[in-house]
Amino acid sequence: MMTLAFGLLTVSSFFLWFNKARWGWSLVLAALVIGIIIFVQDVDFSTNLGIQL
Amino acid sequence: MSRPIVSPELARVLNFVGMMAMVGVLIGAYIIQFYYRELPCTLCLLQRLAMVGVAVGAAMNLMLGPDPRHYGVCLISAAFGLTISVRQSMLHINPFFDKTTGLPTMEATANAPFGESIFGLNMYVWGLVIFGTVMLAVGIAQLFHGQFEPSKKEPKWLSQLATIGVRSLVVVVALQTVTTFLECGPGDCPNNGVWDWWILR
Repeated sequence: MMTLAFGLLTVSSFFLWFNKARWGWSLVLAALVIGIIIFVQDVDFSTNLGIQL
Repeated sequence: MSRPIVSPELARVLNFVGMMAMVGVLIGAYIIQFYYRELPCTLCLLQRLAMVGVAVGAAMNLMLGPDPRHYGVCLISAAFGLTISVRQSMLHINPFFDKTTGLPTMEATANAPFGESIFGLNMYVWGLVIFGTVMLAVGIAQLFHGQFEPSKKEPKWLSQLATIGVRSLVVVVALQTVTTFLECGPGDCPNNGVWDWWILR
């Protein structure tokens, strides 16, 4: 998952370099969505957050 | 017609500086990672991901010209990174909190800081400072609308600067992708900072 997120950013910056691609921002947002999924999975909301939700 | 305070060219140079600052932080994180033989945790990698997001937004401004959407990419990435660094700082800022049980404890060292400190601050606290600064800088940058006006013919030196900047970004991000795969593989990344690469297991 983490590799995929960084891979999307690599593709985005690579195409920015070669093609001056304007759609690169969508890949950044996709990478961030993957990051959010990883973050939510990493947090054990029941015990580890330290607050009551 | 008066000349804008921040011209498109100046805005692109400032974005180059910001992008190289992010690339510099990522290279610095690499140096610390290999010098101290500490693998980055999941939250550390997510902060690096957000820094790359900020750098790509700045690189888009640099290559394609200043655009509110590109600044938006920087802001969204910085907001995500700030969330992660606040979360990680909060995990370690209260020593009287046992992270394994989530309960208060009387032992002050139950939740020791993660990794080496740099200039007195841990990496995740630096992350908090950096992402806060990025948000402030992008907010201030957006106040100068003269940069969004159509630019005249692009100077050659600016085009060369943009190419150098984006090439360095591509190299660093590609390297980060490879080392992340070598560290984590297809699954979850380790969280204990131990020098235990997935590829070597």
